[in-house]
Amino acid sequence: MSTHTSTTHAHAQLDVQAIRQQFPILGEKVHDRPLVFLDSAASAQKPNAVIDSMASTMRHQYANIHRGLHWMSERTTEAYEGVRDLVADFLNAPSREEIVFTRNSTEAINLVAHSFGALLKPGQAVLISQMEHHANLVPWQMLRDRAGIDLRVAPITDDGDLDMDAYTALLADGKVALVSMTHMSNVLGTITPAKQIADIAHAAGALVLFDGSQSVVHHKTDVQELGADFYTFTGHKLYGPTGIGVLWARRDLLEQMPPFLGGGDMISTVTFERSTWANIPHKFEAGTPAIVETIGLGAAIDWVSKIGFDAIAAHEAELTAHALTRLATVPGLSIVGHPRVRGGVVSFTMADVHPHDIATLLDRNGIAIRAGHHCAEPLMRRLGLSATARASFGIYTQKEEIDVLADTLVRIRDFFV
Amino acid sequence: MNTTAERDALYDRLIVERARAPLYAGRLSAPDVQGDGRNPLCGDKTHLDIVLNGHHIQDIRHNTRGCAICAAAADLMAEHVRGNTVAQALAVSDRFRAMLVGSPSLPVVEAQPVPLGALEVFAPLQSHKARIRCAELPWIALKEAFSHVDG
Repeated sequence: MSTHTSTTHAHAQLDVQAIRQQFPILGEKVHDRPLVFLDSAASAQKPNAVIDSMASTMRHQYANIHRGLHWMSERTTEAYEGVRDLVADFLNAPSREEIVFTRNSTEAINLVAHSFGALLKPGQAVLISQMEHHANLVPWQMLRDRAGIDLRVAPITDDGDLDMDAYTALLADGKVALVSMTHMSNVLGTITPAKQIADIAHAAGALVLFDGSQSVVHHKTDVQELGADFYTFTGHKLYGPTGIGVLWARRDLLEQMPPFLGGGDMISTVTFERSTWANIPHKFEAGTPAIVETIGLGAAIDWVSKIGFDAIAAHEAELTAHALTRLATVPGLSIVGHPRVRGGVVSFTMADVHPHDIATLLDRNGIAIRAGHHCAEPLMRRLGLSATARASFGIYTQKEEIDVLADTLVRIRDFFV
Repeated sequence: MNTTAERDALYDRLIVERARAPLYAGRLSAPDVQGDGRNPLCGDKTHLDIVLNGHHIQDIRHNTRGCAICAAAADLMAEHVRGNTVAQALAVSDRFRAMLVGSPSLPVVEAQPVPLGALEVFAPLQSHKARIRCAELPWIALKEAFSHVDG
């Protein structure tokens, strides 16, 4: 498997119309209006390349993997394991054996909380931030309650950046074994200074995990350059299917960690008395995996890589800047979070109009956004809000769609006030 | 009114007006019963203060933080049940729920169907399943308040 990311660097400009042609769903109408899909941060739509690869797998080349001695099984195993190479390349991981397939990012973090957590001793600590998704909070609370570790929370500033001084201070006693932090907030859009976070953690003797669910979609990810020890992401936000996520972890860590789930495919030998484990990564992949979805993820990574992250990042930066400018002109609208570096996620509230009313009325105009607490209730409490509305952008988002959003918001506000 | 909202029968003018300027919002100084409703999914909440006179609801006020649907539902509920007996109010509650989930009638023994009056503005919620909970929240609080009362 080769690298595809360098092919479009010279002309970092997206042909958005050509891209949209590859997403059949974008031609659909909702309530008789053209679909304006501004909810990609929840889950992205799927290009033909992904849909076709999954359908083609099921039509032409499918069997269970790693066990069949027949042609179909061998070919399917090659396709499945080929995606491991693609993912390793995508993250610039040192080795394909460090790529563990999971159901999603949530399961990847639970795997680390369970298996790395088993190596921790009472009195040691895990450090997260105030802007974590529940997926990077609840597994650590569960670990805390069963293992007697400490769970620490690094505060954010009012602008929505990690408070680096407070973060550093929370590491000072040397008890933190793991920093587990988002690489991009799904609410505030904040892209966290991952390299700096990792350097500070390492200096204090802690390892670091980044939840890359939001960030891998928007820019090139290099786990070695970041200095990460663990990295997780999910396929369905990366234009791939649901049901497939990824954990990358350093080989020496994966080798020390006990298995997460037990069953077929993760063993070396089994007797009624005891079992021994397969080598990594298979030790962490019990049972028949999401074969078709993994192949779909491979198609998504191929597709995204051919477009190139230079072009994707430039497009999304332009959209986000446009959105911040346009939304600022909507009466009564407040942007939630003003981080130093941000991705294509913009949360907002409107005076006198509840986010759920905004979302329902936008929907009646064909515009899909998210409203609620975004699986980040403690962050909402920190912000003094019960809910926000959130627009998020993807590779297929057009500036005109943001204009439609802003114009419709003005009319909604007029209606309620 | 404008095209944005005209497209959506859900946001009847009455709902918007009552959400903006409720007639039954506030607290009562000496309530006989109180009820609370919370929707953990969206953070909406409502609190009811009720003064009873025998079995009759003599006065009712709500303190609601929520979307327009929830706030208007609380206000129109208070208006509707004021003067009702507890049993009548609970019958309206069942009828209201039946309307939201789209079942044409309840297997009630009464010959007379329970009239919903202005509460019928919420009927379009039938096609907004995700928002039904918003309108139900005050009624959940009402049921909670009456759970301490002999019908």
